[in-house]
Amino acid sequence: MLRLLRSEFAKLKRKPLFFAASAASALIPLGCALFLPEMQDFSSGAEAVDRLMSTLFQMSAYLLLMPALVVLASNLLFEEQDNDTLKNLMTVPVSKPALALAKMILLFLFAIAFMVVGSLVNLMMVLASGLEPVGFWRLFCVGIGQGIMMWAGALPCVLLVVLLNRSYIISVIITFFYTAVNYIFGTNDFFIMQPFGFNPGTLLPGPLTFRWFFQYLDTSVSSAQMTELMERISPYFVTTPQAFLVVILESAVFLTLIALVYKRQSC
Amino acid sequence: MRDYVIETRGLTKKYGEQKSVSNLSMHVRKGRIYGLLGRNGAGKTTTMRMLLGLTAPSSGEVKIFGKSLRGNEKNILPRIGSLIESPGFYPNLTGTENLQIFADLRGLKSSKYVKSALEVVNLPYRDKKLFSQYSLGMKQRLAIALAVMHNPELLILDEPINGLDPIGIAEVRDFIRELCNATGKTILISSHILSEISLLADDIGIIDHGVLLEEESREELEAKNGKYFRFTVSNAGLAANLLQSRLGIQNVQVDNANELTVRDLHLDTGAAVRLFVDAGLSVSDAHLYEDTLEDYFKQVTGGEGIA
Repeated sequence: MLRLLRSEFAKLKRKPLFFAASAASALIPLGCALFLPEMQDFSSGAEAVDRLMSTLFQMSAYLLLMPALVVLASNLLFEEQDNDTLKNLMTVPVSKPALALAKMILLFLFAIAFMVVGSLVNLMMVLASGLEPVGFWRLFCVGIGQGIMMWAGALPCVLLVVLLNRSYIISVIITFFYTAVNYIFGTNDFFIMQPFGFNPGTLLPGPLTFRWFFQYLDTSVSSAQMTELMERISPYFVTTPQAFLVVILESAVFLTLIALVYKRQSC
Repeated sequence: MRDYVIETRGLTKKYGEQKSVSNLSMHVRKGRIYGLLGRNGAGKTTTMRMLLGLTAPSSGEVKIFGKSLRGNEKNILPRIGSLIESPGFYPNLTGTENLQIFADLRGLKSSKYVKSALEVVNLPYRDKKLFSQYSLGMKQRLAIALAVMHNPELLILDEPINGLDPIGIAEVRDFIRELCNATGKTILISSHILSEISLLADDIGIIDHGVLLEEESREELEAKNGKYFRFTVSNAGLAANLLQSRLGIQNVQVDNANELTVRDLHLDTGAAVRLFVDAGLSVSDAHLYEDTLEDYFKQVTGGEGIA
């Protein structure tokens, strides 16, 4: 598996898409910092860290990371067929399920890299403002956790893309539909105010991620509206073990399905 | 029993109701070059894909190195080098980078494997040219380099000279012959170019419409090629009568007023010519002809020739 993963990294050479997608994580925090007045005037370093990281968690992760993961997955999974290299790999021999898993691990690392880059850009902006980044490293870890959850959340959509095999247009439509639905569900009371259990609020990646990361944001200096939201949804927060139990189970199921579907594809 | 590196029994591949390969039983001997000859679409590539486990047979069995391929892929495939259809590589990488990926996957740690494979096909090591910028000939060379890089015991090469220029074709031919002679590798090569197969192969299989029609050594095939005499005389009818009545030759065919063909190889041509001259006939040509492999190919496939 390590060899396969190394080869996946080697194939990325001179492929700007991956690096551009990682760098895109800086776009929303930078844009907010440059163009929104409330993001330029912080009373403390803790508030600056909290608001900038909140932008990363609520905007970049949902609106950029999720679609980027699916688009990159289709790029990775179809590249062997597009370049006619699958036959070379099969005769090494490399198993198709192992190859699919290596590509999914690469995406996993990409999701983490995306959140790391976004977090570090936020850190630089806080430092550039002359503030002390109080509480940054805790939210940095939450960001990595959210990256993992977004990766797991993207897997059902990746499965659909693999099932549709080579139909890029339909894959892109599904990706953006999935992203929109995920974002809407992740901010909808109906989904986020459900107890932990076998229900959409727990199983769908948008609401689950929201119910996990939101408890780590500091709302002590936030608006009354935010405080009210916090009070309303705090009973429905999921603990880290609960959140990652769901992520692990869903990842196992969808990775198995992706591997099985990829195995059936001809070379 | 002969030492077969590849042996198939009743190998069949169906796509729907159409049989691409039908009941194919081929035998590739150790240390020999086996040429699979057939027209485009005859089933050569499908056969090779089944030999490499890239396509599952509908029925039949593939044995390689004496073991069934099914279930033994992990042991058998690393001992094979292959080139199937068009060369497939990553367009954003150079030739060296492409080979390095496969070398790494094969567990070949030293860069000497990549370097020597590229040297063999006359491609530069660590060149900056991307695969997407390669000419068709360079792509084909790189594919051959990939096939030989891990020093396999068996090479399965599907139309390896496709896209090569005449010098490249000669180089690849010499290289394949050298591999077989010097290192004792077994090589299965397919082509629709008859001259290539006849120049290179020790054993030849003729495939047409998915059916292996013939499988012989080149010597055996050459021995099967028909031989005949042809005379051009002033009166072919009279000459035929003379051969039959005076020399007892039966297999005589009058082609036209001046030409006749004799398929009896016991004929003494000197005696025949003297007989014609003594009878007052003028003889302008007397020749022994031999069918080519192409004639034989036409005969067994019952159709047109091949390139």
